[in-house]
Amino acid sequence: MEPVIGAALEDALDLSVELGALRLRNPIIAASGCYNRGAEFGRIMDVAAYGAVTLKSVTREPRLGNEMPRLLSTPGGLLNAIGLQGPGIAYFLEHEAPKLPAVPTAVIASVAGFSVDEFAEVAARMDGIPGIVAIELDVSCPNVDAEGACFAEDPASTAAVVEAVKARVTKVPVIAKLTPNVSDIKPVARAAEAAGADALSLINSLRGMSVDVDRARPWLANRSGGLTGPAIRPVGVYHVWEAATAVKIPIIGMGGIETGRDALEYLMAGATAISIGTANFRDPLAPLHVGETIAAELRKRSFTRVSSLTGTANPDFAGARA
Amino acid sequence: MVSTPLLEAAELISRERVAPGFWCLGFRSPEIARRARPAHYVAIDLPGTFSVRLPLGIWTARDDTFTLLFREWGERTTRLACIADHEPLSIIGPLGNEFSLPDTGKRAVIVAGGIGVVPFWLLVRELLAAKVRTTVVLGARSKHMLVGVDELRALGAEVKICTDDGSAGTRATALDLARELAPPDIFYGCGPPPLLRALSDHANAAGIPCQISMEETFGCSMGTCWGCVVPIRRGSPHAVGYPRASNEKREYDFARVCVDGTVFWSEEILWNR
Repeated sequence: MEPVIGAALEDALDLSVELGALRLRNPIIAASGCYNRGAEFGRIMDVAAYGAVTLKSVTREPRLGNEMPRLLSTPGGLLNAIGLQGPGIAYFLEHEAPKLPAVPTAVIASVAGFSVDEFAEVAARMDGIPGIVAIELDVSCPNVDAEGACFAEDPASTAAVVEAVKARVTKVPVIAKLTPNVSDIKPVARAAEAAGADALSLINSLRGMSVDVDRARPWLANRSGGLTGPAIRPVGVYHVWEAATAVKIPIIGMGGIETGRDALEYLMAGATAISIGTANFRDPLAPLHVGETIAAELRKRSFTRVSSLTGTANPDFAGARA
Repeated sequence: MVSTPLLEAAELISRERVAPGFWCLGFRSPEIARRARPAHYVAIDLPGTFSVRLPLGIWTARDDTFTLLFREWGERTTRLACIADHEPLSIIGPLGNEFSLPDTGKRAVIVAGGIGVVPFWLLVRELLAAKVRTTVVLGARSKHMLVGVDELRALGAEVKICTDDGSAGTRATALDLARELAPPDIFYGCGPPPLLRALSDHANAAGIPCQISMEETFGCSMGTCWGCVVPIRRGSPHAVGYPRASNEKREYDFARVCVDGTVFWSEEILWNR
């Protein structure tokens, strides 16, 4: 821990961040699919450690999800293919949404869809629900209207989803969560921004696979899955860096963040806020450790705001630091 | 009933290699030891390179100490076996639901295969305290893989042993031995899936209640990631009860082993879907 430069500065330390119109009391967000509204991890830690939590993605119809096995522990990571198991938007609105105002931090909803219409409809039904402060679009899903190509791999498909959602969601900011499974993320980031996205989240999981050599077949029932955890962190930092040179809207950086220094990498590459996902499955207190390290870094540099760190390592940073 | 878990640093206070590749590690944690119920498990953060927490069933719990009996099986269990003495490990527990107990005077038969013996020390202690007449049938591939027998006998349980190769006890499977016993009021099972499936079929056909402690690869160990599911009958006690899509052809539900289980009734589990 670095020495604190005077009590006055300590008092002036402001961990809050702005993602468009959305203000969070700290830049640390729980990633979708890893934490939900905190009902489970809240049994052993304080959910308020997070500046926001992101709910598991909700689809229009209920989904039973993939067959098992759905998980494989890999070096430095976790390979998963859950298959968006969930109750669908109607059940969510009736049974889950009423619990959201009691969550002791901001709640970001996540929407997944297999068509532009599905995204727009589900997002519209989330808009204005008490407790939901933003809507994230999981555009890494396959587009059934385009032979299963992933929305977020194509700038035009990404823009179509964001545009359709923005036409119907008027009360809260819309965040587009992009996939790392592209050679250049800049065109997709620009397309999302041009279509009206208020912020970007990146990265989603990295597509991967593992083969059980004893049984000569893929480990996962779904064959391929999404790789998360520290193993993918350099990929995430790279994509955040690249996107931050291309767009002005704020970026939520994620992918393998375990420690405060991991979070600082993302902030300095160009992220305004960061998300912790798989690291919760090792250290549920990670948001506290990350927050302490960010605060220490601010003191060390005599900064008073987290946004002063954003993009400091990136000479081509195009966004706003305020 | 769902457990009330803690997140705490527990000191490693004992380590014993009970058989080739099998370890028994003791941890000091008065609260986890006090709260541990039959079939509860803990989730352990292993020092070093990232991996998700390792879930392991609680073997014994006495005074301020609980033990974990496990087989070195993969990278994480090997790392755990090598932890330095007195190292405090971050442990979440106890986790999971628990076995339910029959009334006093009833008869219980426990069928365990290999390392599947783990949840049964706590259960046997509870059953004997509740004056349930209890027989444990413990099978393994060979005598080198038969662990936990002495500890269960020390509790006062009747323990029958068998091995696939006849190197200890009868040459038979645990279910073969269990079938020779008078039909009990309840079966309990834990072990390799083929054994559990055969036990379930036997118990279901005989109309005898049977509780199975299941195993799957866990992600979060807390119920949030939906990675560790098993297919169970719709409308059964551990079913989630979500609505279903009109085009969903699968007739079952998925339940999370980590929080909805690990214990399920044999009639809930769909082994052959």
